[in-house]
Amino acid sequence: MSEMKAHSIDISAMQRSQQTLRIETETPCLTVNNLELFYGDKQALNGIDMIIPEKKVTAFIGPSGCGKSTLLRCFNRMNDLVDTCRITGEINLHDTNIYAKGTEVAELRRRVGMVFQKPNPFPKSIYENVAYGLRIQGINKKRILDETVEWALRSAALWDEVKDRLHESALGMSGGQQQRLVIARTVAVKPEVLLLDEPASALDPISTLKIEELIHELKEEFTIAIVTHNMQQAARVSDYTAFMYMGDLIEFGDTNTLFTNPSKQQTEDYITGRYG
Amino acid sequence: MTSIKEKKMQKASVSNWFKSGDPWVWLNAGAVAISVIMVIGLLLLIAVRGLGHFWPADIVEAKYEVPGQPAYNLIAERVESLEVPAVQVREAGIEISEDKDIVSRTLMKTGNRDIYGSDFRWVIDDFLTEIKEPEMLFVAERHEWGNLYGYLKAVKEDGTVVAQTQDKQVTDTALATWKSFEKSIERVLVIHEDIYQIEKHDIGTINHGLERLRLKQRSLELKNELTPAILADLDADRAVFDQEYKVLQEQLIALYGEINRDTFVVEAMDGTISELQVAKVVRAFRPNAMNVLDKIGFYGEKLWEFLSDDPREANTEGGVFPAIFGTIMMVLLMTILVTPFGVVAAVYLREYASQGWMTRIIRIAVNNLAGVPSIVYGVFGLGFFIYFMGSSIDQALFPEALPSPTFGTGGLMWASITLALLTVPVVIVATEEGLSRIPRNVREGSLALGATKAETLWRVVLPMASPAIMTGVILAVARAAGEVAPLMLVGVVKLAPSLPLDGNYPFIHLDQKFMHLGFHIYDVGFQSPNVEAARPLVYATALLLVIVIALLNLSAVTIRNHLREKYKSLEM
Repeated sequence: MSEMKAHSIDISAMQRSQQTLRIETETPCLTVNNLELFYGDKQALNGIDMIIPEKKVTAFIGPSGCGKSTLLRCFNRMNDLVDTCRITGEINLHDTNIYAKGTEVAELRRRVGMVFQKPNPFPKSIYENVAYGLRIQGINKKRILDETVEWALRSAALWDEVKDRLHESALGMSGGQQQRLVIARTVAVKPEVLLLDEPASALDPISTLKIEELIHELKEEFTIAIVTHNMQQAARVSDYTAFMYMGDLIEFGDTNTLFTNPSKQQTEDYITGRYG
Repeated sequence: MTSIKEKKMQKASVSNWFKSGDPWVWLNAGAVAISVIMVIGLLLLIAVRGLGHFWPADIVEAKYEVPGQPAYNLIAERVESLEVPAVQVREAGIEISEDKDIVSRTLMKTGNRDIYGSDFRWVIDDFLTEIKEPEMLFVAERHEWGNLYGYLKAVKEDGTVVAQTQDKQVTDTALATWKSFEKSIERVLVIHEDIYQIEKHDIGTINHGLERLRLKQRSLELKNELTPAILADLDADRAVFDQEYKVLQEQLIALYGEINRDTFVVEAMDGTISELQVAKVVRAFRPNAMNVLDKIGFYGEKLWEFLSDDPREANTEGGVFPAIFGTIMMVLLMTILVTPFGVVAAVYLREYASQGWMTRIIRIAVNNLAGVPSIVYGVFGLGFFIYFMGSSIDQALFPEALPSPTFGTGGLMWASITLALLTVPVVIVATEEGLSRIPRNVREGSLALGATKAETLWRVVLPMASPAIMTGVILAVARAAGEVAPLMLVGVVKLAPSLPLDGNYPFIHLDQKFMHLGFHIYDVGFQSPNVEAARPLVYATALLLVIVIALLNLSAVTIRNHLREKYKSLEM
């Protein structure tokens, strides 16, 4: 019970100050220029232009199938795995176009990490899960691994729960723990951007709260883009919100403004629950 | 009225019964029960027939008198009985009293093939009289000529009698003679073991060394690099071997003199007295004097001999160890070859190849490959691997051994490769199945951490697919271990002079021919000069083959279950 209370306090603390953020004053981390994406003949994204500001949380909301996950997966070129997918336009990570020829996709994905909807730990120990990204980079020194694993697990607020069973299988953890483990695993390679694709949708309310707290803490160090179905969640965790509909970016701006005073009718209809 | 109603109700209840699904449950349960009974029946049959062979049967002595023929004395063990119509026997010219319709015949093993020409004879039970089981009757298993049955008369050392008896009953002199016979056999067996060690191992090693010297010389000759200095070196080495050989040969001559010292005198059932060398005897025992415990001990000894010894007498006696060894070694080699090959093929098909008509055709081809009769693989193995690849290898790498082939003839390696080819479709299909079941989000998780596709495959996907790969390997092992037909073309022989794994460099002899349990069954059962004697061994070997395959499978299943536990899939 006291735990619950603690969470509710945290959440109220998370309520941002009412002052309006201005996107023009932010440092852009990712810049999207006229991005179009096709699955075969079907167009899924129609000329998206936006920036993802550095060290802020940007939320993507919109009804199912609106293209928000697709857009998110463009940021680390996950869509390359779909054979029929074709992309025009560009996305710049700082100043380099990630769709330029000769881009090292693996290196890009190390810089732009991603957490998926369903927790997907590897069937290895907790320790090995977190160390995975480092081992891929060829880091095998035990001291460095130990330090990074602890740091990452602490960053994901998981250290205290698992420090005594680091070498047990990650599959024995609860869903919420697994999702935080996946976040720790992603954080461990020290990416610049964290992409979260509905990270809490498969979790119970308490685990969801923990993830939201975590997002709040992680934005100190990482640029975060999160896709969510849950508008309250978007309102709680994000600084900026993008509303998408049918492959179009309808409205993008400061979260408070977008939720309290949307400029587009479609946005207002969606956030007031009239459709979607 | 009521009867119509009843009929209707009956009809309704029958159709209800069908609707309830009970008949299908019964049908399925019945089918399962029949299958189980058939499998158990099969195993029981081969187990009883095969394992019964090692039990020391009692020996009977009886008078056998067929009307119109001279009577004779019979000493034999019962093998099996058959009921036959009396008419059939009468037609064969044997008089049977008119009131009999059926007579029972018994197959008797009389042994003493060197005296009578055959081991077995059929007798009609009715004409056996004065049946008894005297305790002094003994059986001697010999290195040649099968079993010997009779009464022990005397034991001699260097021609002088050390013990003798005229008694056919249990008396002190008879027992004393038997004791000295047993002692003599023990002594002979020790010497025999020494001779075996020298002939098989020491002289074998020398021969191996000499052969290597010869090949070295020949190879230098072919390259025109044979200088007198090298030749002198080679001759010096050869002289060392010759010297060693001379020493061993002297030892052997001495041992042969020792082993041939003792003889024994035996009286067979027809009263023939013969003197034989104790050296010819493997073991002698008096089954009629044995109690149950003795027999169990004897049984264990025989069973162990079967499992651990080399075959004797055209495979009808002794053990099958080389065949067990060959089977297991061939299967293990096959597994080592087929697993990486199948997995790599499946990974390419599933993960790298673009999924189109080409991959579909390849899949169909792979599946059809699994249905090709195995003898076709044998022919392919002979034609392609042995004649084409093998002779190319010989010309390139072993020109000094030509014209005698090294790899250009059937051998362990070609047999394993042929069977690997035969079973690779199974591994490919199972691995592909396993790969397709790895959740997409786990792969994406790895890729999102900056792993390349190959790293993801190697570190996450393949470990997770390993239980499925093992399933494929299990199926492959099950198929390969029981396969005989292709092996007959690519390297199995009825009697291999040595094991493919031994102490001589390079230790594993992949080019060597080997023995196989499956082929052993065929050879013993159908190619043997003494079919009656060999038949129980067919059952015993068949049982052994089943057990070996079951054990191989069981170990693979254990590994798979362990892996499955480790990589329990992420279904939540």
